[in-house]
Amino acid sequence: MSAVSSSSWLYGAIQRRRNRGLGGLYLIVAAFLILYAVLFPGILSVGGFSKFTQNWFPLALVTMAQALLMLNGGITLAIGPLVSLGAVIAATTMDGVFGVPGGIVAVALTGLAIGAVIGAIVAHLRLPAIIVTLAGSFIITGVALILLPRPGGFIPGWLSNTLAGHTPVAFLLLVVVLVAWKAFLATPLGLGIYAAGDNPVGAFRSGVPVERAKVVAFALSGLLAALAGLFVAAQTGSGDPVIGTPFTLNSIAAAVLGGVGFLGGKGTMRGAICGSLLLSVMINVMFFLGFPPVAQYIAQGLIIVGAVAVPELLKAWRAKR
Amino acid sequence: MMDQKPLLEARQVFKGFFGNPVLKGVDIALRPGRVHALLGENGAGKSTLINLLSGALQPDSGTIAVDGKPVGRFSPAAARASGIAVVQQELSLTADLSIAENIGLGAFPRRFGLIDYAELHRGVRDVCAMVGLTEPLDMPVADLALGRRQMVEIAKALYRKPRVLILDEPTSSLSAHEAGILAGLIETLRDRGTALLYISHRLNEVQALCSHVTVLKDGGVTADQSLSGIDGEGLVRLMVGRETGDLFPPRASANPGALRVEVEGFSAGLVRDIGFSGRAGEIVGIGGLVGQGQEDLLLGLYGAIPAKAAKAEVSSKPGLPANVGAANAAGLVYVPADRKHEGLVLPHSIASNLILPSLGRLARNGFRDRAGEAGLIAELAKRLTIKGDVARPVQALSGGNQQKVALAKWLPLDPSVLLLNDPTRGVDIETKREIYLMLRGFAAEGRLVIIASSDTPELVHLCDRVVVLREGRVAAELAGEAISEEAIVGAAMGIDRKGAAA
Amino acid sequence: MSAVKSIFRNPPLLTFVLVALVWLIAGLTLRGFGAYGHLRYLLELAAVIGIAAAGQTLVILMGGIDLSVGAIITVTAILLPLISPAWDPTGLVGIALALAIATGIGFLNGAGAAYLRVPPIIMTLAMATFLQGLLVVVAGGSAVTVSNPAVILLGQGRPLGVPSGVLLWIVVSAVVLALIHRMPIGARFLAIGANPLAARLSGVSLTRNTLILYALSGFFAGLAGILVLGMNRQGYVGIGDPYLLTSIAAVVLGGTSILGGRGTYAGTIPGAILLVTTTALITVVNASPGWRSIMFGTLILALLLVSGREARR
Repeated sequence: MSAVSSSSWLYGAIQRRRNRGLGGLYLIVAAFLILYAVLFPGILSVGGFSKFTQNWFPLALVTMAQALLMLNGGITLAIGPLVSLGAVIAATTMDGVFGVPGGIVAVALTGLAIGAVIGAIVAHLRLPAIIVTLAGSFIITGVALILLPRPGGFIPGWLSNTLAGHTPVAFLLLVVVLVAWKAFLATPLGLGIYAAGDNPVGAFRSGVPVERAKVVAFALSGLLAALAGLFVAAQTGSGDPVIGTPFTLNSIAAAVLGGVGFLGGKGTMRGAICGSLLLSVMINVMFFLGFPPVAQYIAQGLIIVGAVAVPELLKAWRAKR
Repeated sequence: MMDQKPLLEARQVFKGFFGNPVLKGVDIALRPGRVHALLGENGAGKSTLINLLSGALQPDSGTIAVDGKPVGRFSPAAARASGIAVVQQELSLTADLSIAENIGLGAFPRRFGLIDYAELHRGVRDVCAMVGLTEPLDMPVADLALGRRQMVEIAKALYRKPRVLILDEPTSSLSAHEAGILAGLIETLRDRGTALLYISHRLNEVQALCSHVTVLKDGGVTADQSLSGIDGEGLVRLMVGRETGDLFPPRASANPGALRVEVEGFSAGLVRDIGFSGRAGEIVGIGGLVGQGQEDLLLGLYGAIPAKAAKAEVSSKPGLPANVGAANAAGLVYVPADRKHEGLVLPHSIASNLILPSLGRLARNGFRDRAGEAGLIAELAKRLTIKGDVARPVQALSGGNQQKVALAKWLPLDPSVLLLNDPTRGVDIETKREIYLMLRGFAAEGRLVIIASSDTPELVHLCDRVVVLREGRVAAELAGEAISEEAIVGAAMGIDRKGAAA
Repeated sequence: MSAVKSIFRNPPLLTFVLVALVWLIAGLTLRGFGAYGHLRYLLELAAVIGIAAAGQTLVILMGGIDLSVGAIITVTAILLPLISPAWDPTGLVGIALALAIATGIGFLNGAGAAYLRVPPIIMTLAMATFLQGLLVVVAGGSAVTVSNPAVILLGQGRPLGVPSGVLLWIVVSAVVLALIHRMPIGARFLAIGANPLAARLSGVSLTRNTLILYALSGFFAGLAGILVLGMNRQGYVGIGDPYLLTSIAAVVLGGTSILGGRGTYAGTIPGAILLVTTTALITVVNASPGWRSIMFGTLILALLLVSGREARR
């Protein structure tokens, strides 16, 4: 091992190790994508690819937002309301003095701030994340409803065209987000989020600022969810105070599909991203096969329970043999 | 050497949890170039003292001083900045991260805000060479055996280039070879002027490595002196403070009755394919190093974790209990080691805790018999000398009394087999004696008592028979005169000795 | 002084005193508030919340939260008119069938939590989402009118001037109070809520109690759904949605710890009345659904802070 001493050897080796155990998931995702391309060859055109990635993009963001917290040993039920609030704020601020940049900053700051507040409550008062975010979700929903009681608001047409037009801008943005995540994970605090999820006491004793890591995780999660809301608003051309509702469960479903565990520190972000891609393909297929939109709900419920249940049943079955 | 200023001190520190004092005015001073031993029984307050010295806990009163200067709010990060590193008994590793990342965690070298993996690689390679870790550095810690993880933990402490190194039971899961490497390492560090605090149950290690000792007993310091001229017996006397004979009731003449538990090819959790049996009227001890499957053996018999056996007979019924309810019905009961998390419902009253296992038996027509319950609770409280109002929450009781409640709640079931996991951990000496008397009494009444213990004297003086586990298998089975501390520790560590033949 | 102190130490009593104070003040200052008809109306509304919160109380006592209460109410309210057989003049068969379905849904929640180890909040959330989709597919989104005579009697009847919904609530209260305080299973729920591991090692079966618990929660939600249907005479998608939040809020208003292991239905009863009363007062000042949602969220958060602080002590 000492023969290899290039500066990036250790980092690269660790990164390669993280793919371990995900081979099956990669294969399934690839198989689904190929199947999808065979069924709907339109995806292979620039326009088709753009549309496909636009449907995937917000789901990928909220899945990251959820997985970030699950890896840190928490969970959030406030994803959907945050998406809604992000959409509402985008649609109500972009016609203001500061225009689109002002709107983007407002959405980002709101997401960060709300996330940080929830994180501070969870981390410093040692309360269970699941109930705090449940209460938070009601409050955030209320705020969104007050800002914009019914769908409307204003999103400039050029913004919608840029983000959700016939160019793969969304895909490029996703790449940027993923690169930023990789960079964050290469900081002490980023790794601290993982460590605090798996073994909080050990991480604390090692000098990891566990509470700060938690607050940062919640803040980033809020940021991602709110930005997903901004994108959804651009996609639909307006704000809607309840548009984010399905994302709460979708984010959990995608993360669980990607092998992220409910109980802290188990799983990888790359797995979660694959999970979101898989879920996105499934939703698209159902849409194209003519299922009513509400069938999505049925599928979500089944996917979540199934994604948790199948490994659990397999484990029990193996233990019996 | 004594005139050198201490690097790290605790001065008159007090610390309590839920109103139960754990440390009552403790002083300790760690000086450079000295290996300082910290001795004490389970529950004497050693872990709490270490947590105070390393910033993981704050003292209720008293001060922690670094280089003679009292520090205000001490945190693990501040402790690390002052050059204090701890090798914890409970590992502080993250399973999914690599060896290198675990070693660097909390002390990463940075470049432009990012972790400098090249620098990390260099530093980690050096400390791994020191402790003899040859595994690839990118390997996740999850893939390592327990002993190797312990070495990672030690490397992690060394990586911080400590001036003060605290080692809490560092050898509990190490092989003889690894323990040897560690001993050499400690001597090297001592000669370089590091201040070391060494906590171990193994008195021979303490005698070989340490030059000074502090003994804790029931939260106070009973000795703070040089180790020169003190032999093993002297050490034990310092720790126990009385002849061990006083503590334990006289052993009745062994008179085992019918077979109560018999398993062959038994596997559960860490336990792999062992045979085990116990007869009415016996006290059977289960010994071994920490985490060798003792708890899983008890939980498996109790139906609390999945278990299987080639052949099993429990309370003259074939097969293992499928779940806890079935085990209770078969007359098996279990008292866990961690009574706060597993044994008791802490915020509920003493009465609720005492009545919990008997709820169904006392009910009439589906409704609870309040008068009957009150009578039973009063009787139990009297029998175990639990004083005061039984409506108090059980967390208001001292450790010893909590343990009595955890044990007493099972008595109405008239159990034929008692499974006890370290029942005297963190229990004061008087309660310990009461518990020993009670266990002897149970055996005399024809019950089978199976007791897992990390306290070797307890196994030696209380048990009729001792089964020593190592890596989930039976390393030795000792009976009668063959039971001795040397035989148990030897078998636990995998050293073949006379009289310890498996 | 000591009387005041003991009130503050007894959350159910405190909530009762609060209700009495609010009624007294509102009755003296607001025209029409103190009229018998208005108070009866408030109690009728509280009965639905109280019955829905009966199951929720048990679930929260055992350390969970049932997020499918609203969906089960909707399912019952929509399915009951569809499955009530025409040959049954009393309508009781339809009620029995609807309750069986509601209980069955609850049982599935319990099975998911107990056997598949899905965290109960997630399991019930997934169930609610699943049911929401299924209902639209099955019932097609239009409202259904009820003609089941027993249901109408329950929703509209007033024997001796007391709404039958309130009478049903009294019966439910008696049953739930007996279950918690007079039967072994109540003590087991509480023990599991405070420390599931210790309860299990003390011989309390987690699987069995989880199944019973969620089945009960489903049953009571179904009962609330039938009452809502009778009062509205119509079932539609979304009819049960308001009762999810209010059932949780009524429980925590009654002093039950949202973290489990401590509390009683005796607090939920005044909790439900207090909730209905404050909602009525808020409606007077014309609060939007947004403000109501914020109010519930803040309420849960505030009580979480209080009970969390006590739990740490």
